[in-house]
Amino acid sequence: MRVNFVLSEVATGLRRNLTMTVAMILTTAISLGLMGTGLLIAGMISDMKEIYYDKVQVSIFLADGVTDEQRSAIETQLADSPEVASYLYESKEEAYERFRQQFSQQPELVENTPPDALPESFRVELVNPERYAVVAAEFPNGQNGVDQVRDEGDFLDRLFSLLNGARNATIAVAVVQALAALLLISNTIQLAAFNRRNETNIMRLVGASRWYTQLPFILEAALAGLIGALLAVGGLVLTKVLFVDKTLAGPIKAGIIPPVDWGAIATISPIIAAAGVGLAAVAAYVTLRLYVRL
Amino acid sequence: MIELQHVTKLYPASNRPALDDVSTEIDKGEFVFLIGSSGSGKSTFLRLLLKEDDPTRGTVTVNGKTLNGMSKWQVPKLRRSMGCVFQDFRLLRNRTVAENVAFALEVINKPHRTIKRVVPEVLEMVGLDGKANRLPHELSGGEQQRVAIARAFVNRPLVLLADEPTGNLDPETSEGIMLLLERINRTGTTVIMATHDYHIVDSMRRRVIELNGGQITRDQSRGVYGVGR
Repeated sequence: MRVNFVLSEVATGLRRNLTMTVAMILTTAISLGLMGTGLLIAGMISDMKEIYYDKVQVSIFLADGVTDEQRSAIETQLADSPEVASYLYESKEEAYERFRQQFSQQPELVENTPPDALPESFRVELVNPERYAVVAAEFPNGQNGVDQVRDEGDFLDRLFSLLNGARNATIAVAVVQALAALLLISNTIQLAAFNRRNETNIMRLVGASRWYTQLPFILEAALAGLIGALLAVGGLVLTKVLFVDKTLAGPIKAGIIPPVDWGAIATISPIIAAAGVGLAAVAAYVTLRLYVRL
Repeated sequence: MIELQHVTKLYPASNRPALDDVSTEIDKGEFVFLIGSSGSGKSTFLRLLLKEDDPTRGTVTVNGKTLNGMSKWQVPKLRRSMGCVFQDFRLLRNRTVAENVAFALEVINKPHRTIKRVVPEVLEMVGLDGKANRLPHELSGGEQQRVAIARAFVNRPLVLLADEPTGNLDPETSEGIMLLLERINRTGTTVIMATHDYHIVDSMRRRVIELNGGQITRDQSRGVYGVGR
């Protein structure tokens, strides 16, 4: 295969219909960028699940007037319960300390909260988180020094369904964009083939192989896909540096949201690139088979 | 060499066949004129030989290979054994004379050394030495057709198909082109030329196959264009 010939054909092709090429690259970039975002959110969700679900499943908040006997009775009950995997006692002081750390970025909130406003509690990890109701029934609210039993998992479920929704919406938009990108690629390739119909006609008549005739077009699309992918990765890097790392710095530091680290971007970049190049090449190939006589 | 057996070609848009039960045989090294009015089936005849189209019925054989049912990847190999020349030259406008000829070899992966050697040879043969670096629009019509012939012949095809190669040229220039085709024919290449040019047919006295409404109405060795002309 004559590499120079093929490459010069590719360059000519891209130059000749520049506007279509730019449109094709931009749509591809947006689609791939959204796909990357979707993948990053998915990774973030699984990170968050690890952070949260592993930590706490049920909180038993104690009433303000709880007595020492009541407290130790609860502790004994927890220690003896077959449903409980482990538990942790948190005093008012510890709760306040944790609260201060979590909201260190919002000093007004911390200042306006008196140190004894937060209840003491038992943080309980269940053997099976779904058996929350059974455990809750053992510690009725408002009795024996128990103020309230709360299923943290319930709150987390709602949080994660929100995040999952965000991820799905991102991926849905990415898919729609990808469809637009594919149609544009197909259109661009048809135009490119039309522009070079003299060349391809002659190639056909002198007996150039199908592959030889098609390759410049397929490479042209693949190259545009690659450029689109590079732009998409660039967009993700910019989003991380300019948005995630700045605007979300507080919650990330507090451990509420896991950071988007370079490793994650490095992991999804090849996926994005492969998707961009692969989809573009396949779209070009199919277009040539369906619409263009070579 | 080339054989058509009961070949019928129907195009979907028309209910009259472009070729109607045509059988003929052309031997290696022959020079054949294909004549007939527009729409008589000349172009279809040539297209079938190139496997640009498949016959609706009948078999086409070229160089001992039956084209019916030939797989797609074998078609390029068939076309490498054939050269094509058209009325409208079909040169690449942004490439020089030498590049136009070289293009035909580049795209079938001939080595650079070979291309460098054979392109000047064939340009000299068609009488274009010294014009290798001209662009097509800097040449006369006759010269452009010579470039097209050089491109068709540079790979030494067994068959040269010419579809009204003199259709756009004046009589004198046409004569030069015909001398060139004759010379190519003398190297052993079979030449099949579709034409309307009765001067040429009458003066060359070669085999004439006349098509009329898709049927062969005359097949004459050393023929003339039309009886009584």
